[in-house]
Amino acid sequence: MTASTKRKIINKFILSLSTLFAIIGVAFLFWILFILLKNGLSALSLNMFIEDGAPPGSDGGLRHAMVGQLILAIGATLVGVPIGILAGTFVREYGKKSPFADLIRDLSDIMMSAPSIVIGTFVYALLVAPTGGFSGYAGITALAIMMVPIILRTTDDMLGLVPNSLREAAIALGAPKYKMIKDVVYRGAKVGILTGILLGIARVAGETAPLLFTSFNSNFFETDLAEPIASLTVTMFNYATSPYEDWQSLGWGAALVLAGFVLGLNILGRIWLSLNHITRKKILKKRKR
Amino acid sequence: MATVDKINEEIDLEVKNFSFRYAGSETNSLKNVSLPIAKNKVTALIGPSGCGKTTLLRSLNRIHDLYHGNKYFGEIKFEGHNILEEDEDLIHLRIRIGMIFQKPTAFPMSIYDNVAYGLRLQGVKDHKTLDIKVAEALKGGALFDEVKNRLHDDADSLSGGQQQRLCIARAIAVEPEILLFDEPTSALDPISTIAIESLIKSLKDKVTIVIVTHNMQQAQRISDYTAFMYLGELIEFGKTSKIFSNPDEDLTKQYIGGKFG
Repeated sequence: MTASTKRKIINKFILSLSTLFAIIGVAFLFWILFILLKNGLSALSLNMFIEDGAPPGSDGGLRHAMVGQLILAIGATLVGVPIGILAGTFVREYGKKSPFADLIRDLSDIMMSAPSIVIGTFVYALLVAPTGGFSGYAGITALAIMMVPIILRTTDDMLGLVPNSLREAAIALGAPKYKMIKDVVYRGAKVGILTGILLGIARVAGETAPLLFTSFNSNFFETDLAEPIASLTVTMFNYATSPYEDWQSLGWGAALVLAGFVLGLNILGRIWLSLNHITRKKILKKRKR
Repeated sequence: MATVDKINEEIDLEVKNFSFRYAGSETNSLKNVSLPIAKNKVTALIGPSGCGKTTLLRSLNRIHDLYHGNKYFGEIKFEGHNILEEDEDLIHLRIRIGMIFQKPTAFPMSIYDNVAYGLRLQGVKDHKTLDIKVAEALKGGALFDEVKNRLHDDADSLSGGQQQRLCIARAIAVEPEILLFDEPTSALDPISTIAIESLIKSLKDKVTIVIVTHNMQQAQRISDYTAFMYLGELIEFGKTSKIFSNPDEDLTKQYIGGKFG
């Protein structure tokens, strides 16, 4: 065997091996989706979307949990996104490489890997125990705390991709620093920052642990943030571990809806990211009219 | 000692005993530089890499202030007033002294919005006024005919040379008195370079121009005065024709003759 054929064989072998493992990696995703669809689809019904929680055997739905989940996710986004973006802006545009900015970066990385249940416990001690009750506010706080470091770091990284020459050009035209950031840097990093926000929402939307001690759960339709609020994740856990068959089935339905929501958010973000470059011109043209 | 020829022109900017130190550096990157910048003329700063010509140019609109810890010493006088003073209104200064960078720096917005940006910063809101001024600036930047039908396209859709002319149009839209060019053609092809050079020549009726260039032919083609710098010092300043044909300093002679650089 010549050196060249040997090399080709080794090459083929490594290629097949890495392809195989790549397939195994993705296979789990499809496996999960398959199981979810298999069990969840049978639970899907119109009832699930229009009925609220009910005792076992009385044909309840998940409307309360879906609405609760949306309220919690939207609330966390409203709180977490501005804090995350402004903090990321501070770190990249003002703090730069100062020890203080680096400290914030490091702490934010630690926060990102903090066990979510610890954050739930913290909010419990901070908001739930003193006020004497679980509430939507506490749930939103816990989710927002989880969201901030994700958005802080993506904002920091995305602003870092905007070339300094653009900043200098804006300053050289007589722009004050805050306008330079708002008009030029944010615009340049827009797609990246928005992707970070979507990923942040997708991340907290799937959390259970921080909600267990905070918004707790409810079997009723509830929009008052001062009360315990249902979420798909906690409902899923309760229903799936219950001994009643119809609740278990609803649990699968909740899992499917949640997975669909998170997956959809991710896919939307990516499509939007890729379309952005093509559609931008059209949008700009329209704006002129 | 440097040879600085006396010039018989109206002086727009006067650099006097100017030194500059970058943040974290132990030594001055510019050492005691003095030279005049003549009004409505093109002054070229030439010299080998690292000689401080860009550092000097970037001091003239104090863009160095964007980064902490940089230090200026000496004076740069603009209409008799030292712009290096602590309480200098930098925004106002930069409106009067514009800058064009080495690489085109088109903002991520439409062609129109790019040119209108400086005007809007100054509070111009009226659509008609903006339309007129943007068109004028684009004509001044010799770009209007190429983009008049797609003013609202993304500026990214322009070629590198067009983007550089867009940046020039954006800079002249705010009607500065001085324009600083930092190697504006080093990233461009020969045809775009010629377009920018003839643009610079046509601009000097209205503005004073200081240009940093690596290209000695370019300095000869477009400048009235030339300053040759070496290792942070000004070696020689005088009329371009004299610097390139009969310089006083040996170092200038060697650099012009291609002995180093």
